[in-house]
Amino acid sequence: MASLLPAGCSADYPQAQSDGISLATLSPKEYAVVRAAAEALLVGVPVEAKDVAIAIDTELAAVGEPIRSDMKNVLRIIEHFTILSLHRRTFTELDPAARLRYLRGWATSRFAVRRGAFQAIRGFVQYFAYIEPATRTLTGFTGPLLEHVTVPPVRTVDYGEIA
Amino acid sequence: MIIQGTNQHADVREKADVVIVGTGSGGGTLGAYLADRGWNVVMLEKGGFFRAEDFTQREDEAMAAFNGRRGLDSTIDNAIFLNYAEAVGGCTVHYWGDSFRTPPDRLERWRTGHGLDWMTPAELDPHWDAIEGELGIHITEERLLNENNRLVRAGCEALGIEGAPPPTARVDCIGCGWTQFGCPYNAKTSQLITTIPRVSLAGGRVYSDARVDHIVVENGRAIAVEGTLRNRGTGDERAKIRVDADVVVLAGGALGTADILLRNFPDDRVIGRRFYINPHYFVWADFGREIDNATGIPCAYVVHGFRHVRLDDRARYAGGGYIMLTNHQSPGIAAAMLSSTGADHMEHMKRWHHLGSLMSVIDEENPGRIFLGEDGIRRTEYNVKGVDQHKAVDYLKQASRIFLAAGAKEVWIPDVFGTVVRTEADIASKIGLRSVQPNAQFCAGSHLMGTAPIGTDPAASFADPTGEAHRVKGLYVADGAALPGSVSVDPSLTIMGVARWIAAGIHERSGRAGS
Repeated sequence: MASLLPAGCSADYPQAQSDGISLATLSPKEYAVVRAAAEALLVGVPVEAKDVAIAIDTELAAVGEPIRSDMKNVLRIIEHFTILSLHRRTFTELDPAARLRYLRGWATSRFAVRRGAFQAIRGFVQYFAYIEPATRTLTGFTGPLLEHVTVPPVRTVDYGEIA
Repeated sequence: MIIQGTNQHADVREKADVVIVGTGSGGGTLGAYLADRGWNVVMLEKGGFFRAEDFTQREDEAMAAFNGRRGLDSTIDNAIFLNYAEAVGGCTVHYWGDSFRTPPDRLERWRTGHGLDWMTPAELDPHWDAIEGELGIHITEERLLNENNRLVRAGCEALGIEGAPPPTARVDCIGCGWTQFGCPYNAKTSQLITTIPRVSLAGGRVYSDARVDHIVVENGRAIAVEGTLRNRGTGDERAKIRVDADVVVLAGGALGTADILLRNFPDDRVIGRRFYINPHYFVWADFGREIDNATGIPCAYVVHGFRHVRLDDRARYAGGGYIMLTNHQSPGIAAAMLSSTGADHMEHMKRWHHLGSLMSVIDEENPGRIFLGEDGIRRTEYNVKGVDQHKAVDYLKQASRIFLAAGAKEVWIPDVFGTVVRTEADIASKIGLRSVQPNAQFCAGSHLMGTAPIGTDPAASFADPTGEAHRVKGLYVADGAALPGSVSVDPSLTIMGVARWIAAGIHERSGRAGS
């Protein structure tokens, strides 16, 4: 179904261009949806929405199929299925609070496929936000031990020749 | 010798006594057993070769480097996150090291249900004795229980629920807390630092970045495997590789082995049809103060009290059918596991250091399946359904009780409904089937099993009780794929024991045992 949705062009979705981003795999529209979702989902988190969107673009380029195509389909569906929530505007045209209400509607939908789309976009955005060390001021995570203390291996391992 | 495929540019042709596809619990154990006895061993690993100095303890780097599909794989409906490794050492590179012998009642089920007469403690104990000695497996030391573990233990003791620190595969662990991202201290006795060096030093060749596509069969016998060596960064083909061998062993894990078999035997009616994962649901507890929830080892206490299913007097499900593991999650993964959004999610994450956590290992009765899509890419389908959903709900309730008994201010069922439990009445009224619908909350599977099972019936198993394929001589399965069902506990030591038993049989039947 997602393949029937309009692909959109950079004129319709100028966010990547205005962010100065050369996209690795996402289309300008898909980037705009991720960015808009990050703006909605990451309230009070000390990470820029565009940085999360860039990280997701980079990751989807690296991870390959089928995850790449599945995620792209999710993004296009989220952008255009606002009509199901009686919105006349697309997801990226909504203000962040309305986007969040829209996504929450997907979260508690009786349709598993909509919940699945919600979990996909939510999980990606929140994961790629909170792997950033900048969020440690929020979580209190002090970072892995290796960042603080160098402890040598408790034993050496002889593998023989390594080519 | 370790040969990193990513560094190779010329095609490779090898001849060996045995070629083993996969280097984890099954492949590593089997390879070392045969290498120790003079076999010329070649091992092929799809993932990369990483050593202690490569492990940074950063979740994003670890997930991308050695988790399958960069740590982002899931079932086709996105309802279950699939956690598995692709690296020399297999899943033991990122596993927690819990090392349980197969419960005797499970061995009995496999004997009676699948004709696996040899699966007795008497037959397997010598193999487990040897493995436990080689890996230094011992009961987790008290010093490695962080506060989350101790609180769960206190909750269990208050409620009279059975639990204990697990046997663990590590020696001189410093308790950094991030074993799931690879051990930079060579303390976790993964296959990476135990069996793989043994194979290498015995003259075996271990290829990383080697993807096997084709099993060469002649006159009903497997004689070789063919594949490609790949650039670790891009996945691009570097060179071709073919290994001819008297014995071909598949040990690429329940996903990897099934993937290869589905490509080579597309008409087989068994491969991939019984996919067990031990669904993991997570319960979080806010203790209202900072607790040490990120040092030690993630799972240093296991709740055993609910492993057996209880039935009521009309033989209906009444509870149990799972164990619980203490655990902790790094911030990025924790963020992805909580289903809240916006300011609520941020408030949850601000309490990351206040959180205790338990996860389920559900001993499921309804497996999923693995198949190749129209594009030829492996996909998985798995639904937690039927009685397994009721087990999940029972787990959510019992985990909540344990945390409340341990003094938690509130317990979070991390579902899309924002379920919070503060009292016993909340447990009764708020936790139900809606929380375990697909995609209503994060669910994971990391105990992947059963996709090419052994058994006596060719219509219901891929391989015979010795591990050899029913239809192809000289082709063996010796990993999680070979298990006939869920183990009900962490399966790593079961896989190692079964693989070692299969290796012993291969050795004996080869006529080399007396030489």
